[in-house]
Amino acid sequence: MRLNILFGGKAGQGPNILTHILGQTLVKRGYYVFYSRDYQSLIRGGHNFNVLTASNEPVYSNDFEIDIIVALDENTKKIHEKELKKDGIILSGKYENMHFAGRVFKILGLDFELLKEELKKLRGFDNNLIEAERGYESEDRKIILNKTEKKGLYFINGSQGISDGAIKSGLDIYYAYPMTPATPVLSELAGKQNEENILVLELENEIAVVNAGIGSSIAGAKVMVGTSGGGFDLMTEGLSLCGGAEVPLVFYLAQRPGPSTGVATYTSQGDLKMALNAGHGEFPRMVVAPGDPKEAQELTSQAFYFSQKFKIPFIILSDKHLSESFYSLKEEPIITKSEKTTKLIRYNSYEQDETGAATENADIIKKDILDRLKKKLEIEKEALKFEMYNVYGNKESKNVIVSWGSTKGAILDAIKCVNVCFLQIKYLEPFPKEVKKFLEGKNLILVENNSTGQLADIIGEKIGVLIEDDERILRFDGRPFLADELKKEIERRINDKS
Amino acid sequence: MTNLNTSIMPTWCPGCNNFQILAGVKKVLNEKIKTDDEKEKWAIVAGIGCHAKIFDYTNLNGINTLHGRVLPTCLGMKIANPKLNVLGFSGDGDAYAEGMEHLIHMARYNSNIKYFVHNNQVFALTVGQPTPTTEIGFKDKTTPRGVKISPLNPIKLMLASGASFVARVYSDVKQIEYVLKEALNHKGFAFIEVLNPCLIFHNQNYKNKIYFLQEERHDKNNFEEAWKKAQEFDYNSIDDKTKIPMGIFYQVEKPVFEEVVGK
Repeated sequence: MRLNILFGGKAGQGPNILTHILGQTLVKRGYYVFYSRDYQSLIRGGHNFNVLTASNEPVYSNDFEIDIIVALDENTKKIHEKELKKDGIILSGKYENMHFAGRVFKILGLDFELLKEELKKLRGFDNNLIEAERGYESEDRKIILNKTEKKGLYFINGSQGISDGAIKSGLDIYYAYPMTPATPVLSELAGKQNEENILVLELENEIAVVNAGIGSSIAGAKVMVGTSGGGFDLMTEGLSLCGGAEVPLVFYLAQRPGPSTGVATYTSQGDLKMALNAGHGEFPRMVVAPGDPKEAQELTSQAFYFSQKFKIPFIILSDKHLSESFYSLKEEPIITKSEKTTKLIRYNSYEQDETGAATENADIIKKDILDRLKKKLEIEKEALKFEMYNVYGNKESKNVIVSWGSTKGAILDAIKCVNVCFLQIKYLEPFPKEVKKFLEGKNLILVENNSTGQLADIIGEKIGVLIEDDERILRFDGRPFLADELKKEIERRINDKS
Repeated sequence: MTNLNTSIMPTWCPGCNNFQILAGVKKVLNEKIKTDDEKEKWAIVAGIGCHAKIFDYTNLNGINTLHGRVLPTCLGMKIANPKLNVLGFSGDGDAYAEGMEHLIHMARYNSNIKYFVHNNQVFALTVGQPTPTTEIGFKDKTTPRGVKISPLNPIKLMLASGASFVARVYSDVKQIEYVLKEALNHKGFAFIEVLNPCLIFHNQNYKNKIYFLQEERHDKNNFEEAWKKAQEFDYNSIDDKTKIPMGIFYQVEKPVFEEVVGK
């Protein structure tokens, strides 16, 4: 069973809340649910939609083909009709959104009491209840969901994963300037300031954010700063300062399509090379990319561990698709505990002597640089203790998919019945060189949400395995991969080779 | 007795006015800091430029940070540890060019930081280009046709931005000593501009043109009066009649950032 339900309407009509209510209910009943959000950069009007995919097996992505379209406006019908399956259902008409909630619950045979429970959490209960009851009464049960047991799943998006990971790592202060799609972490952490005893501050721009982060870090706090590509550009001088002056700082970088302002509310994996190379001069750094909210928690805790232990800048790469999509997960994350290592001494943005004073002495300059290179090697050694990559599917298969970050979900769903191995790289710097053994001599398929295949270039550079242009499945229209479409594309590539 | 000196030989030009600022600051700090424990409660942050060498000559914890980023760095330190006494030092390039946005916002935030701007009206360490406070007509290799744009008046800027302590002094040990003591008694952001002529690239003779607000009947709690005094010198034209007011233009009590938004 794999059921896709699309909720569409104008911004302000409430497709989000409908999706979330249904998602939460299904998760509580023991179904696996994934939903993503597609919204425009506007506040009222336009066309927004969410797709919710439910199954009694784990699910981490959406499909192109839709079973039920909930059209809160006529536009939704026009735009999405082509995605509806032959026997699919369209719900439309001029009703309030909870009317549609009632109808969907009835169609899926979900008890009305479950909906009522969710409505109690919202404002306007009385009116919502009347609307929902009317909707529920007006429909018949049309889809029989597979039986399932309660599984104790939790329902979480990538931003909550990053935030939880930071809090569990002892975060003291989070600084940010609002920028989609990093903002959900800002609001998530801001909402937890009192209960978690953290401080969340918005400053005048990303330059102030990174430099205040550096100030707080050298004064002894555990700090994270958050932004998207354009804001990260502004932070890069500060990133370089962290590298040179040995200041621990965690950077949360949520990607959206660039260059420039790009496409504010859509997704992309276009900033991998920026994360790896940003900042002038040569200095050690780390870059990781979680593929789901559980990994977001784990890798964020590792970010604090490594940045504190080695006094380095550490970049967590996320994107709009991971940060705003909801996943139902069962396994609890493994949190790495980290010690606080900084105290206020004398730091310098210049190359410095042992007293912290600026230096132009050739021997000291050389020694400082060699020390930083040595630290890079120590980091590489320490990283081997962690799960730097995941391998899924048939490890013996001659076909190997390689990817990183949020594409993990669609790939896992796409390869369920395909004889293929999937290598997900989580550590981009340092790079897990041992993955060479999975890639060499195989039919390779690279999957990335960018136009050039940045990971392929990194793989070539780091381990000398070439991934040709025709071995790259790239999507760069701001949209995430969809499992059914991706499956066809993967099968086509495999068939072409055999 | 703790030692606030370092073993670094100063590389300011012989006779540089920055020595006056260093001496004034050290004098006050030596009175305040008697033990190593007391020293731990103080921090120094400097930017990039001639002024920033003060970091190398002052044995306090802190950071010689990026050009223009003294204030957000100070803010971060203060937020992480509100008990820390944070002294910030910038040049006019740092404060009025590269990091102007932070200055305006710091006036709004009113974090309890004491901030000196060594204003020599020139980018000295990059050998003499005009800054936002250089007068019309100033020429150098990069500006052979001369500066055409009026300079900024930082005192007016700070008053307009809501700064709670606005002062200007000349780079003279006694004036530095006086103003730092006053600033340390002030709860909130203290903006202190030091007119600090550069002997090599901008040796403007201000010494016989200055007078002291605190020796006149200036009411530093009166904004209108401060605003009027701020206009007496425009950083641009100097003639026989020019009178440059020095001292504390304005002081007012305002909520302090780290107390209002802190944990």
